[in-house]
Amino acid sequence: MRIIVIGAGKVGYTLAEHLTQEEHDVTVIDKNDEVIERCSGSLDVICLKGNGANAKTLLEAGVDKANIVIASTESDESNMLACLIAKRLGAQYTIARIRDPEFNESQTLLQNELGIDVAINPERATALEISRLLRYPFAGSIESFARGLVEMVEFRALETDKIVGIPMKDLTEKVPGLPRILYAMVERNNSVIIPDGRFSIQPGDKVFVSGDMVAITEFFRFLGRTKQKIRSVMLLGGGRISYYLSRLIVPMGVHVTLFEIDQAKARALSELLPKVDVILGDGTDQDLLQEQGLSQVDAFVSLSNRDEENLMTALYASRSGVPKIIAKNSRMAYTDILNDLGLDSVISPQVITSSTILRYVRARENSNGTHIERLYRLIDGKAEAIEFIARRGDPYIGIPLKDISTRQGSLVSVIVRQGKIIIPFGKDHIEEGDHVIIVSRNLGISDLNEVLKK
Amino acid sequence: MNRKLIIRVLGAILAIEGLAMIPAFLISLYYRDGDSLALLYSFLFTFLTGSAMFMIPHTERDDYLRLKEGFIIVAVGWVLMSLFGALPFLFSGMLNRFESAFFEAVSGFTTTGATVVTEFSTSFHGVFFWRATTHWIGGMGVLVLTLALLPKLTGRSSHLVRAESPGPSLSKLVPKTGQTAKILYRIYILLTLLEFLALLLCGLSPYDAAVHAFATAGTGGFSNYGASIAAFDSVAVDIVITIFMFMFGVNFALYYKALIGEHVKAFFRDEEFRWYLCIAASFALLITFFNIPYYSDFFTSLRYSTFQLSSVISTTGFVTADFSRWPVASQMLLILAMFIGSCAGSTAGGMKVVRINMLVKLSRRNIMAAGRPKKVDVIRLDRRAVDENIVSQVAYFAVMYVALVFVGAFLLTLEGKFDIITNLTASLTCVSNVGPGLGAVGPVENFAGYGIWGKAVSSLLMLFGRLELIPMFILFTRSAWHKY
Repeated sequence: MRIIVIGAGKVGYTLAEHLTQEEHDVTVIDKNDEVIERCSGSLDVICLKGNGANAKTLLEAGVDKANIVIASTESDESNMLACLIAKRLGAQYTIARIRDPEFNESQTLLQNELGIDVAINPERATALEISRLLRYPFAGSIESFARGLVEMVEFRALETDKIVGIPMKDLTEKVPGLPRILYAMVERNNSVIIPDGRFSIQPGDKVFVSGDMVAITEFFRFLGRTKQKIRSVMLLGGGRISYYLSRLIVPMGVHVTLFEIDQAKARALSELLPKVDVILGDGTDQDLLQEQGLSQVDAFVSLSNRDEENLMTALYASRSGVPKIIAKNSRMAYTDILNDLGLDSVISPQVITSSTILRYVRARENSNGTHIERLYRLIDGKAEAIEFIARRGDPYIGIPLKDISTRQGSLVSVIVRQGKIIIPFGKDHIEEGDHVIIVSRNLGISDLNEVLKK
Repeated sequence: MNRKLIIRVLGAILAIEGLAMIPAFLISLYYRDGDSLALLYSFLFTFLTGSAMFMIPHTERDDYLRLKEGFIIVAVGWVLMSLFGALPFLFSGMLNRFESAFFEAVSGFTTTGATVVTEFSTSFHGVFFWRATTHWIGGMGVLVLTLALLPKLTGRSSHLVRAESPGPSLSKLVPKTGQTAKILYRIYILLTLLEFLALLLCGLSPYDAAVHAFATAGTGGFSNYGASIAAFDSVAVDIVITIFMFMFGVNFALYYKALIGEHVKAFFRDEEFRWYLCIAASFALLITFFNIPYYSDFFTSLRYSTFQLSSVISTTGFVTADFSRWPVASQMLLILAMFIGSCAGSTAGGMKVVRINMLVKLSRRNIMAAGRPKKVDVIRLDRRAVDENIVSQVAYFAVMYVALVFVGAFLLTLEGKFDIITNLTASLTCVSNVGPGLGAVGPVENFAGYGIWGKAVSSLLMLFGRLELIPMFILFTRSAWHKY
């Protein structure tokens, strides 16, 4: 597809990078010389210097023939304007990053009057992600597939887990009562392994399991990982993410304590969020944290504007025995090191935003002729989970999976048939119309036939 | 430094070069000349070496191409390609010394067209065809061809195209580098085919038409006749080649724009094209005017003068007249044209009109600034501000270019053979990839008079000129060979 990305900041650059890897024709527009230099040096795209809200620049970028225009500059107004003009000039589909909640509330107006098909709010998307992590505290990360029917959950294997050290093919025999679940991927020493029958999980591995939420919850109960629900959360920083997050989790019956250092901000938050305990003070102050009951809470989420503060405070909370820690880290760097330090849930609003946008692009692509329903990047883009729909006449249909050769490094993870999920074993087969989810280390797969061969 | 990746890409280049020898081989079979075996051996040797290099084991991690490696691949690739391209000349016995064969191959790939062949016997149809093929491949660039055929060869492939394509900055036609390369070659093939047909209509044999179409397309200038285009002595042929030489000096992006809907407007909207046209037209008219006493009639003068100017400014180097006998003013204009060359993004050499354009504007700005130092002045091209970085790069390039011509001339004089005019124009004609110079390397002479040293120096000068200095200079820096 022809895609124009306006604004190549963190989100825009990540998007352009992934989109070119997926063989799209990408044109990047940015005002900044240095950004243009960096893009044209390292990405296979056309770079244009200029204002994305300028009709002339957009036309030069070929907006009239563009399938998707993504506006991801820092400014909401520029993004809206760019989408409005792009749509008038003939772009098929527009996606805008819009931060300000005031704009977001008039979503239908945006769509009908301004021609913005999707408005992404990075803070809200991040808050949603965090709320899911809080709902399933045993997970380092969660991805849902097939409209939420299937989840893929990441956790770190411990010495005491009963599944450790046993080859996959012997698991059901040697561990009685183990719920049937698929071990989709394992990350060990920063490389991704797609497990086969001989593979055994070692302590410290990051394991990704998939299945429906009931099976997964049962699995973690079996491992003895499910503590009781999270009932109290401490939030560091009173920014927009904290606001959205509070709005999401307070109705679920979670008690929220929020630290904010700025008096006016704290007051405003207290007004907006009557059920939240807003604490005026420095959330990085260890005494203050302890006094507000840090060691008693079920989860600690650090969301201040400074990565260093977030990470250090998160480490301190972890040391104080808080079971679930989530830290915001805007820079993508050092994720591996942070994992080694015990911070399993490190989230980046930029990554969440770009993967949300990528999902919309994927969905568009589906209607443009390829067969991918959805694509998820996992483990910093080292692996992908791809949802396909099996089509009539494909050679693999009706044949038991054990008789089909699967491409090295790929795995049929889940089959969804008429709303029911099947964790596939050798004797299962794929039927026409099934949603098939493939987990793969080979990036850029665009057809199920590339993975399954007779 | 990522040695494996470099070797793989170089292997791909050689394998493609090997494949490009097949048409010449088939032609030699058709004409039943004695050079079939020479071409077959050259093909096998080049193709197998290339394939072996291409097959070396690699991992996915190796696919990251850094900027420095891009330059090294381009520079080493061109030298390597010339070494293997020299094989048919050696094996067939057309040239019996290695340095001569290498010179001929370099001259072919760099589309210079200076030759050391003195005997134009008809028993080398295949090898002469190979000689024309080197022009055709070298014109658009072998790495561009490699990427058109193997777009997935490396990540960050624009580094390779950037290092090989002439002009101050790379302009992509479409977002993907591989796709851009394919489009460029499609336009190239189309234009070559058009010229081939036009030459057939002028009454040339298919073989002659193909050889000269290839030599024009790459703006090279090799002919299979000692007298070059003068051998045909046909007004029609002169006109066709004059027009096509000019056309291959135009930025190929403009043909693309014209084809996708802008039509003729695409050309006249482009500032560089307007300058190119004005420079070429005014030079041609001036030379015609100066030459009237020599030819005694306006139209004869127009025919030879226009052809020669088009040939020199497009850096092709075909010859229909011995311009070393022309009035001095005409010769001087031809030397200026050699410096200027044609448009960026074409197959031609020289400093490129767009650089001349910026140099003129830069000089004007500097002169103005002397009187009004506080005035902020932006250099514009196509009504758009040019990045100051590019402006200063253009200035440095011009200085290095002129310096290289003089240093080259000095090195050539070390052989102690010819006069200053000869050595200076030989150096200039090599760096600008034109072909003929003045004096002992004049239009009816050739480079056979130089010895080993002279041929080696001029081969290097041609490579420096074709790759626009930087990639070759980088080869001579110590950091290029460091691992990191």
